[in-house]
Order: sequence, then structure tokens, then C-alpha cells
Amino acid sequence: MTPGSGNGAGLAARVFLIAAAAISVAALIVAFGQMAEKGKLQRESVSTASPAQAEDPIAAEANVFRTSAATLAIDPESGRNRSAHPRTLVTYRALRAFPGAPPRIPHGLTPEEFRSGGCNTCHERGGFSQRFGAYVPITPHPEMGACLQCHVGDGDLMAISLPSTDPSSRCRQCHAQGGARRVARTVDWIPLKWPQLAGIKAGSDPQPIPHTLEFRTNCLSCHVAPSAVAEIRTTHPERQNCRQCHLSRDRESGEFVRPTPGSGPVRKASL
Amino acid sequence: MPRVSLPLKVRMGSVDRRSFLTRIAAVTAATAGSTFVSGTALGASESFVRNAELLPAWKKTPCRLCGVGCGLLVGVENGRAGAVRGDPDSPVSSGLACAKGYHSVQALYGRDRITRALIRRNGALAEARIGDALDVVAKRLRETIAAHGKDSIALYGSAQWSITDAYIASKLFKGGIGTNNIESSSRLYGAAAMSGLESTFGLDGSIGCYEDVDQADVFILWDINLAETDPVLFSRMLDRRRRDRAVRIVDVGTRTTRSSYAADRALLHAPQSALFLANAIAHEIIEQKVVNRKFVERHVAFKRGKTNIGHGLTSDALVADDPRSADWKEYEEFLSAYSAERAQQVCGLAADDIRWLASLYGSPASKVMTVWGAETNQHSRGTWMNNLLYNIHLLVGKIGAPGNSALCITGQPSGGCSLHDAGSLTHTLPAGVVSSDGDRQRAAGIWGVPAATINSRSSRAVLPMFRALERGEIRLLWIQATNPMTSLPNLDRFRRAALKNDTFLVVSEAYPTSTTDVADVVLPAAMWLEREGVYGSVERRAHYFDQIVAPPGDAMGDGWQMIEVARRMGFTRLFPWDRDTHVERSWEEYRRFHGTARSALPAIAELRARPGVIWPFVKGRETKWRYNTAHDPAADQTRGAFDFYGHADHRAWIWLRPHEAPAESRSSEYPLLLTVGAVLEHTGAGAMTQRIPILHESVPKSYVEVHRDDAARLGIRNRDVVRLVSPRGSIEIEARIDYRSRPQRGQLFVPSFDEGHPVRKLMIDAFCPLSGQPDTAACPVRLERATRGKRP
Repeated sequence: MTPGSGNGAGLAARVFLIAAAAISVAALIVAFGQMAEKGKLQRESVSTASPAQAEDPIAAEANVFRTSAATLAIDPESGRNRSAHPRTLVTYRALRAFPGAPPRIPHGLTPEEFRSGGCNTCHERGGFSQRFGAYVPITPHPEMGACLQCHVGDGDLMAISLPSTDPSSRCRQCHAQGGARRVARTVDWIPLKWPQLAGIKAGSDPQPIPHTLEFRTNCLSCHVAPSAVAEIRTTHPERQNCRQCHLSRDRESGEFVRPTPGSGPVRKASL
Repeated sequence: MPRVSLPLKVRMGSVDRRSFLTRIAAVTAATAGSTFVSGTALGASESFVRNAELLPAWKKTPCRLCGVGCGLLVGVENGRAGAVRGDPDSPVSSGLACAKGYHSVQALYGRDRITRALIRRNGALAEARIGDALDVVAKRLRETIAAHGKDSIALYGSAQWSITDAYIASKLFKGGIGTNNIESSSRLYGAAAMSGLESTFGLDGSIGCYEDVDQADVFILWDINLAETDPVLFSRMLDRRRRDRAVRIVDVGTRTTRSSYAADRALLHAPQSALFLANAIAHEIIEQKVVNRKFVERHVAFKRGKTNIGHGLTSDALVADDPRSADWKEYEEFLSAYSAERAQQVCGLAADDIRWLASLYGSPASKVMTVWGAETNQHSRGTWMNNLLYNIHLLVGKIGAPGNSALCITGQPSGGCSLHDAGSLTHTLPAGVVSSDGDRQRAAGIWGVPAATINSRSSRAVLPMFRALERGEIRLLWIQATNPMTSLPNLDRFRRAALKNDTFLVVSEAYPTSTTDVADVVLPAAMWLEREGVYGSVERRAHYFDQIVAPPGDAMGDGWQMIEVARRMGFTRLFPWDRDTHVERSWEEYRRFHGTARSALPAIAELRARPGVIWPFVKGRETKWRYNTAHDPAADQTRGAFDFYGHADHRAWIWLRPHEAPAESRSSEYPLLLTVGAVLEHTGAGAMTQRIPILHESVPKSYVEVHRDDAARLGIRNRDVVRLVSPRGSIEIEARIDYRSRPQRGQLFVPSFDEGHPVRKLMIDAFCPLSGQPDTAACPVRLERATRGKRP
């Protein structure tokens, strides 16, 4: 028996003990949970009315109110007219394969960042990034932790070591050689057209929401300066109930058609 | 050459009203005559004015699509309304509007707009000359009265009426014809609010105003989804909270809505348990010893009223309450049945949360504002529910002062007190009631008619009116600017009544509706912006609106239609006004009913000059907080901080109103409670908003929201078509799960705007016996699966 193998057996025993302890703790938690659940049910059964319970919010309704200017690490008021390396629709679209596609990650990640997926550190509340010399885009869905499930990185950029104070390497965080990087056209595929921003009539006609709302129900995160794409910044970040004026559209609506008259009892014949 | 109907004069803003050149331009355009149709003629005069002195042509108007009364500026080009922006000078909305308001002017230009009169011939409505149609209406009225008496005809008007329309209606029917058969759809929205105010304070008209929103520390939204029903007022609330992080918005309701998500806390209670909950809060206020003793002793009296008053199902008559004095001890005893623990069982809201609500009201440092709306009023105990909410505010002495406010919000421009006050309900006269000798004599004096003409007995509230149509007691019904064949409960019953061969229906409308479908004569109605008028609003603010575009074809305002018919009936003497001046003249005459500081109204010139005026308007000052001696010139300074002069004892009354069961509760056969209400995009029965493309595209049709657990239990998936069944009938409608709002388990929600899904036909025709307000907010139903929805 080598010392090594003896150690191995000891380790196995320790692992077993720890596992057993963990399982019993877990079992206790489950049991307590069930008891608590039972007690809750009993309390509820006393009530003649249906009890109110905490339920997941309806994202499209709730998230509009989730973020306010005060919860962001930027000052939308002061940033209204400032352009610190602004994103534009061109750079915005370059990172997205089609309207509504999850954007690619246009910058390098440290190995630690890549493992932890700690994107929210910067992308939840935004703010100015020394590292990139720009305002950080804010995610509309910080509650979804597995960022890299949908947002894929870029092999080339991943390799860039960080942080760096070298201005030229800072540029390369987002710009590969030869300008903004584009995905190679290896498929014969035509994405949907991007929605056109209609001209705003003089003082009238708040724009309808030109995109779907999946995972994008928190308007302020994408539309507030200075981190937002320049062309789609709101002029009135202080307003809080965006959907009071900006409506989304039901694609199946068609034109309004009156229901057929005379359904139900039939009209008398004549005057 | 097509028949052309031109309004005699195009009204301009108050600045160019005085412009001689403008008049010349309009007259020149009008007399050019041979080639224009009405729209282009106006275009010419409008652009002349614009180029001359008014660049750009933004015309001021109040919004008509809810009861808030936001200020809008309408951009006019070539005689057509082409854009809207919020009026920055509006004290109501400060430059903001909502999706409805911004797109409101498109409602004028629907392709199926009714521009000519229609008369039913051989079973179908056919175009007719407006003069002929008005002749037919007048002749039919005369003949019906001759054959069946003056109570065989009736008028059903609208909360969308101009106040002057309501006044003209009252004068014609009560003072001219001599029948009290007048109702308006404001009975469907605000009757319980009115009778609640009258029983608690002795007078109709809200106590505070919107400025309370800027000053309150705590907002309680009571069964109202304010973010969708009154968005701009809600935004004003959010703005208040943004400026002061200590401000709290608490949503107390039966559904989880957009308002719940915006609120700091949302508390759900069981539907149909609000009476119990309000009494429980009062109980806990006493338990926590936070009653404002000084206020209560000085300013409050306690009253018992009738109980077990039924639900208006077996009797058409309203119940006259019989207030009997009670005292503090009796009130405490009465409340002992409403402990927080018992309330938890009935209302499904934790006892601690009820105590917390009581502590919010009772906290001496904070100003509290409660708002409620149709869901509270549209209940067979609607009056009681209004009383109980005032009770809470009176107990803690938080009412009638800036930020301390209890405000009932109704959903139509004139749905608030203003319209009732003009005499548009069966029991009312302008600033009075038909049962009062003094009020009748005053009306007869101002109208120049014998006092005996005015019937001292009121006839019927809206549902009994339609029941009388069913029985054949009412033979001719004239309906203006409302769609009862979508909005009434137990709809099929009243639809059959409307279709009987011995009923004659006249409908004044701008668009085809399910009510014009059953009409014998349709008169084309001019809409807001196409005519002049005065709207009321929730905060007692009267808004003047000018005519800024021409009405299409033969369309004319509702009030002017009535005057045209009145003249054909021989009542010319009552209306010695022309089309251009009748609004101004009728308003000035109506003002004569309001001679005292309790209700004084502004002159038309004041109304035109200001962005709305809150009445009572005394010596150039608005009365923002009624009964408050520091603000209300009618209040007696010697009575302390408040003088509740509406009652003879100068006190506000706390009513001992018990929890009573509604007309119908859930059963094994009908196990789900259907609740109805509004969405942001639509108003009323949707005749205007469904024709506005962007609003239609956002919510194209009605739907039923089902809790996901109920849906799973019943095997229903999102967008399946389901059948809602009640004893009155059924409708098929798309099911939605977690779409806009989330009802509780056992509850359903249907937006009521869609005449394609007339959900109110499922409801029983019960009403609040004190106010006559139909019980149209809830009804037990069964839900069956009809067809599978399209899968994407």
C-alpha cells in the first residue's frame, strides 16, 4: 500500500461523510419545506377567498417599471446631449444577425470573466468603462444569469489580455483589423429587414414599439442616454410609464371590421 | 350638385374670434359655393387664417376619451385635424397625453362615418335628407305623445354629451314636453359616486382635485387599474413619487395589473369582498387608536340606513334611504363584526396587511389619497362602497385638504358630477331635483314655462327604463352618443325590447354601432372638434371646447339636433338661439341655476380663456377643496377648519353600511367570477378607439384572461377560444394567460370595449337600489373550451 493510496481511501471516506451530511441537510430542508407548505395550505383552507400568493410577474407589464433613472449608474439627464463614443444603429446592427437576434459579445473576456459569466457587474446598471473608454450598454434582462447561453463571444477577441492601458489595444476590444467585424457570409440567408424609424410628426404620434418584447420589456435599459444607441435614445427618460403612449402591435390584428349587424334577435321588417 | 351642409360659421380660437378678416375669409369661402364640399371650404378659410396670423394652427381642446380632462393641442391643416400634442399649459396634464389622446383625432375620420341621416325602409336603413329625418322624429314624438301620453317617450343620453346638450335635453323633456323620462349613460359609470357623495356630504361633486396627487404621501388605488383607466393621472402620481422617494403607492385590487407592478405594494383581495374590507380597515383604525377625535367630534355624524335593500331585480323603483342617527358607540359595535382576522377569511387578505393599511391611513404625519372608479361603482351596493371609503377618510380626518383626498374617478368626459347637475337623469333638474317644489319653481321661472309642466315625480333609472320599453310603456326612445346595445347588462333581453314592432328607436351617432343596427332613424352626429361644447371632469373642472373643423355631411351636435326637433314640435320659444350661439346661450342660461357660492359656474368667456375652470368659481377664484374653510367661500368660517354645509347639520356622515351579498355569487354550476373593465387603448364601447388603427392594432379584440392554474385545470391553452356561459347566454372569446393582467384563481377578466364580444350580455340586470347604477362589473360564469387556438 502506497501512502498515496492510503490518502485516497481517507479522501473517499471524507467525501462520503460530507456527501451523507449534505444529503441529510437537504432532506431536512425538503421536509421542513413540506411542513411549511402544509401549514400554508391549512391556513389557506380556512379562508373562503382565494388567497394571494407571490407569483412571477408578467414580464411585459412589470419590467417597464423595474428600472428608473435612479437605479442606473448613469445620469440620463446629463447624458442627453453627450456622445462619449456613442453606439449607433450601424454598430448595433453589425452585432446582430437579424432584428431581435441576441448580440455577439464584441469584446474580450478575461478567463475569469469567461468562466464566471459576471457580465452583470458592468451590464446591469451601466456606467462609464475606463477599460473601453465608453458607456456600457445595459441589459434589459439582468435576471437571466446564463449570459453566454445566447450571447456568443468572438474567438479572436477572447484572446486579448485584459486590462490594458494601451489605447490601441482598447480599440481592438471592439474593432478587429479593418473596422467593425462582420460575420462571414457562409450561408445564403437573408435576414428580416430592420424596422424603419418613422419620422416623428411635429409633436404628435408617439412611435409604436417596432420590435417584439421578448426579453426586452425594460425600455429604459436600451433607450436611455448615454449608453443607448444614439438614434433610439428617448428624449424624456424622466417619464416612467413608457407604454402609456408607446404601444406594441398585434401582427394578426388586420383592419378593424365591425361585427356583422343583426347577430342575435332579428330586426322588425319595416318602418 | 350634391347637397352641401355648411355650418354657418367656423369657430376659431379666442384670438382670431375677434378678427374681422377671418370672418370675411370664412364668408367668402362659404359663398363661393358651387365647387366645394364642406371640408375643402373650411380648408380655405383655415389656411387663410393660419397664414395670416396663427402659425402654426395648434388649437386648444380637452381630450374626450376619458374623464381626466387632459389638455390637447390639435394641429389643423387644410381644415382637418392632423396631429395632437399635449398642452403644456394644461393644469391637468402639463403637456402629457396617453396613447388614446395622442391618436384621438383619427376617430373623426373613420371610413364608415355616418354623414347622412338614415331612415329604415323595407327593413333596411336608407339614406335620407336630414330635414326629412328630423321631421319624422318630431312627427313620431308628437304622435306617440298624443296616442300614449307624454311618458311614452324617453331620451337616453350620454356621459360623452356636452354639459350644454344635457341642459338642452332637460329643458326640452322636463320643461317643454313635461316628462321625466331622461337618463344618460353617466348612470352606468358615476351614479353610485353621485349618491355616495350626496349621502355622505349632502351634495354631489368631488371634494378635492388633482392637485392632491402632487401633495399626497400615500396613494391607495382601490379596485382601480389607474395605469390603464386614467394613464395621465397615474403618471402624475408616478412623478410625485419620483420627486419624493418616501411616497408610497399601494394597489388594493382583485387582479394583478400594470398598476400593481408600478406600485410599491400590491395587495389582492377576493372579488366582491370590498365592503367587508373597508369596514375592517375602519375597525383597525379604531383598534390602533389613530382616530382623529377632534375632527370626528366637530365635523362628523353617524347614520344608519336601510339594509337588505335588494338588487333592483324585483322592483323598478329606487329605494329612498332613511337615515337614522347613530353614535360613536353604536358605530364601534357595528364594526366589531369586521375584525382583521374575520376580514382575512372573507377577503383573502392577511390580517397584518389590513392592519398595515389602517396604519397608513392613521399615520399622523402622512397625507393619504384614495382613488377608485367604475369597478367600485358598478355594484349593487355601489353607494355603500363609496360611503365606506369616505368613512375611512373621515375617521382619520384626512379629507378636503391638499393631499388628503378621496376621489372617485369616472371614465367619461362628462361622467362626473357636471352632467347629472345639468338635469340629465330622471330625478334631477339643473342644480336641483324634480321632487323639490323650490327647484321646480326656479326651473319653471328660468325656462318661462308653467311650474305645473315639470313633473314632480321622477320616473325610472336606466335599467327600469329599458324594462319599460320591454313592457311597451315606452314607445319611442331617442338615444344619443352611447351604445346601450353593447353596454347594458342582460343585453339580449333589452335588444329584444328594442326590436319589438311597437317600439320606435331614434339614434344619434357618428358611427354604425350595435345600437344603430336596431334603429328606425339614425341622425348623423358631429363629434368633438366638429362642434362647440363644455365637458365636465372628475375634478369639477369644466372644459370649453371649440369647433375647429367642419362636421362631415349633415352631421350636427346632439344639442342642436334636439333644438331642431324641438322647433318642429312647437317649442321654438324655449330655444331662441341659433346654431352658432346655442352653446354659449344655453351655458349662460344654465349658469343662472348656480347663483350661490356652493356651485357658481364661470361665464363662457372665462371658460374660453382658461384651460378649464374648477367650480365653484367665485370672484375669479376656483374652489379646489370644498368644505375647507380656508379654500371654500361657501363654508362658514366660524365652524372651524371645515364646514360640511351639504347637510343641514353641517356635518359629514359616517354610514354604518354592512357587508351584504351581491345579486349573484359563484356556485357549482357557475364557479368562476367574471370581472370586466378597461384597457388603456380603448374607451367605452370602442366606437371611436377601435377605428383608430394604432389602438386597434395594439388590442384588436377583447379576450378573457384566465389564471394559469384554472387554465391548466380546464385544459385551456393560451389563445384557445372558450365559451363563457351565464344564465343569460354565452359568448365565445379568446383565452389569454398572463397577457395584460392576471386574475386570481377562480376569477376571469374581460375588457368590455368590444362590441364584437358584448360581455355584458352575460350579466344580470341588477342595480344599486339607492343610485340606480347597474351592477356590471362582475358576474358568475362557467367556462367551456370551444376551439383550439392557432399555434404559432
